[in-house]
Amino acid sequence: MTVRKRQMKLGLFLWATGHHIAAWRHPKAHVTAGIDIDHYIRLARTAEAAKLDMIFCEDAAGLREANVGIASQTSRSIGFEPISLLAAIAVQTERIGLVSTASTSYNEPYGLARTFASLDHLSGGRAGWNLVTSANHIEAANFGSTGLRPHADRYERAREFAAVVAGLWRGAEALNHEGQSFSVKDALDLPRSQQGAPVMVQAGASEDGQDLAARTADVVFSAAQTFEEAKALYDGLKGRLAAYGREPDDVKIMPGVAPVVAETEAEAREKYEALQELIPDDVGVALLSSYLSISDLWRYPIDGPLPELPPSEGMKSRQALVIEQSRRDNLSIRDLARHFAGARGHWRVVGTPAQIADELQARFEGGAADGFNVMPSWFPGELDAFATLVVPELQRRGLFRREYEGRTLREHLGLKRPV
Amino acid sequence: MHIAVSFNIASAAGQAAEPDFSRIAGFVRKAEAAGLDMVVISDSAAGGQQASSPFEATTLLAALATVTERIGLVAGASTLAHQPYNLARRFASLDIISHGRVGWNATMVQGPREAANFSRPEGISDDDFRRRAEEFIGIVQGLWKGWDTDALLFDKVGGRFHDPEKMHLLDHKGEFFSVRGPLNVARSPQDTPVLVVSGLAETDLDFAARMADVILIEEQSLESAKAAYDDLRRRTLAAGRNPDAVKVLISAAAGPELAVDRLEAWFGAKGCDGFSMVLPPLPSALDDFADRLLPELHRRGLPRPDYTGTTLRARLGLGGGNRP
Repeated sequence: MTVRKRQMKLGLFLWATGHHIAAWRHPKAHVTAGIDIDHYIRLARTAEAAKLDMIFCEDAAGLREANVGIASQTSRSIGFEPISLLAAIAVQTERIGLVSTASTSYNEPYGLARTFASLDHLSGGRAGWNLVTSANHIEAANFGSTGLRPHADRYERAREFAAVVAGLWRGAEALNHEGQSFSVKDALDLPRSQQGAPVMVQAGASEDGQDLAARTADVVFSAAQTFEEAKALYDGLKGRLAAYGREPDDVKIMPGVAPVVAETEAEAREKYEALQELIPDDVGVALLSSYLSISDLWRYPIDGPLPELPPSEGMKSRQALVIEQSRRDNLSIRDLARHFAGARGHWRVVGTPAQIADELQARFEGGAADGFNVMPSWFPGELDAFATLVVPELQRRGLFRREYEGRTLREHLGLKRPV
Repeated sequence: MHIAVSFNIASAAGQAAEPDFSRIAGFVRKAEAAGLDMVVISDSAAGGQQASSPFEATTLLAALATVTERIGLVAGASTLAHQPYNLARRFASLDIISHGRVGWNATMVQGPREAANFSRPEGISDDDFRRRAEEFIGIVQGLWKGWDTDALLFDKVGGRFHDPEKMHLLDHKGEFFSVRGPLNVARSPQDTPVLVVSGLAETDLDFAARMADVILIEEQSLESAKAAYDDLRRRTLAAGRNPDAVKVLISAAAGPELAVDRLEAWFGAKGCDGFSMVLPPLPSALDDFADRLLPELHRRGLPRPDYTGTTLRARLGLGGGNRP
C-alpha cells in the first residue's frame, strides 16, 4: 500500500493584463483584457484544465496610481469589478475555486456576506473571500471625506466585520449583533452554502494582519522573496494558530510566485529581459520612488546611482537593505527601478520547467509553503506556459493533483467544513 | 410596446422547491426567445426570514449575462445596502460583461429591516432616505461618465494605454457622500447602464423625470395611468429632455388571468410606453409565464418597433450608443 504524498495547492492570481507592469505592451498580451469577459473565461478554463485549486482576484475600489500620466502608461486603471467577474465565470466553469478580494473598510458585513453566499451558490460551493482592510488614500477618497482610518482602527473594524460575516454564513439564528462598527439584526436571508461557508483568505503581513489571519483565515497569501523569509512567515503564522484552538493544517499558506518559464534557461531569461525592456523609465522610477518613500527620485540621472538620502521615517528595514545592496552592486536607478517594477516584491523564478519545479518543491518540502499563488507576468502566454510546462512536471513528481477529487473549494484545499 | 418581466427571487418564503440557476436561466432564455425587452430581478435583502432563492440579484445577473444574448437584464440594488462607488462599479462591470444590456433598478422606498441589518439601528427617515437616494443616484450616473468613450488607446508601441485627458474626476461633495472618482471600470458599451426607477412618491417625480431612463409606475385605472403618463412627459420636457427619452412602464400583476385585452387598451390609449409584468413569487410561476402567457402575448403580436440595436438602450429606443 502506498502512502499518498502530500500535494501542493496552486492558485492563479489574475491581474489586469499580467503581473508585470509592462505586460500589456507585450506583443502577444491580450491588451483589451479589462473589457473582454471571454478572455477571463478562457483564462479560468485554462486554470481549471490544469486542475488548479482556484483563481484569485485582487482588488481596490479606485485607481492604482495617483499620477495620471504614470497611470495612463499602465493597464491597471480599468478592469472588471471582481465579484461580478467571478459570478460570470462561476457558471462557465465547473470545478475551480473562485476567490475575490473585498474591503472591510468600504462594505457592510450583511451585504458582503450575502454577495459571497450568492457567489458560493452560483458556483456550487467554490467561492472564497479575501479580506483586506484597504490602506490606500485613493480608495479612501471614493468613500467619504474622512480619509484613511489609522491602522489599528482598520483592523479592529476588520475583526468585527469578519466575526459578523462568519456568523451570518453559519446559520439561521437571528444575529442581533450590536458592535463598535456594525449592527446586524437578522440572520442571512440566503440558505447555507454547499461547502458550509465560503473560504476565508487573507494577506496582511503586519502584526495585526497575522493575528487576524490566525483567528479567521483558511488561506493566507503571503509575499516572500527568499526561502528564509518564507519559512519565517510560515512558521510564525502556524505558530499562532494554537492560541485560537486551531491546528497547523487548518490554514494553508500560499506565497506568491512570479514564474517565467521556457524550454531552456536562456530562452526564459530572454523572455524576461524582453519584458523588462518594455517598462517606461518614468513608470519604473515612480514605482521605485513609492516603494522607497523617496518622492523626488525623478530629479536624479536615471543612469546614475541612488542618491545619498537621509533615513526616512517610514522606511522599513527591507527597503534599507535594498538601498545597501544597490550600492554594493553598483546598480543605476534604472536597473533598480526595473528590478522592482518587474516583480512587485514577490518571488520571481526564471528558468526551465524542471528548475521552477525544483524551486517550488524546495519551498514546499522545506516547510515554507503549503502551495503557491501563481502570478503570470502576462496573459495569456505565461499562464499557458505554466499550465503546459510546469504543472505536468509537478504532476510527474507527484507534487500536484492530476484530477480534482472534490467539488468544492474547501475539498480542493483539504479544509474542514465549518460547524 | 415595451414588455419587461419582473420577479423577486427572494420572496417565496416557505417554498419547498427553490429555483436553481439553470431553472432561472431557462426562464430568462424563454423570455429572450419571446422577444421581451428585459427582465427586472429583485431580491429582498434583510427580510429576516429564510429566502427561497440562494442568489443575490447582481451576482445572478452576471451569471445570466453569460447565458443570454439579447435580452436586457435589470437588477434591483438598494441605496442603503451599498456605497455609491461600489454600486456604480458593479453595474458598470455587469454592463461590460453583458455587452451593454444591463440596467439598475433604484427604488425610492426603503426595504423593510434594511436599516436594522446595515448598521443603522436607529433607522433612517423616509425623507432622509429619499434625499440620500437622489444624491446617490446622481453620483452613480456621474461615475458612469468618468471615462470618455474614446479614452482607451491600447497603444502598445507608443506606451499609451489610455488618454489621460479623457478620464475625469467626479469630485462630488454632498450632504451624504463625498466621492472623488473616477470609476476604475471602462465606459459602458451602451454609454451608461440604463437607470430604472420605481417606488416614486409625488415629490420624486421631477427628480425621476430629470434622471431616469425608465420609470416603473404602479398598476392603476386607465384614467389615472394616462394622467400620470402625461404628467411625467410634461415634467421630462420641463427638465430639458425629449419626453421620449424616458420610458414609462406600468407594473401589472401577471397572474394566470392576465388580461392581455386590458394591456392593449392601456397602451392603445397612450397611457404608458409598455408594461412590466410582475410574476408572483413562486418558482412555478416562471415556467407558467414562459409556457402559457408569453405565447399568448406573442400570438397577439403586440406591436414593438423593430430595433436593430444590440444594447438595452437601443432596444428601448433610448439612443445612447450601440457599440459592440
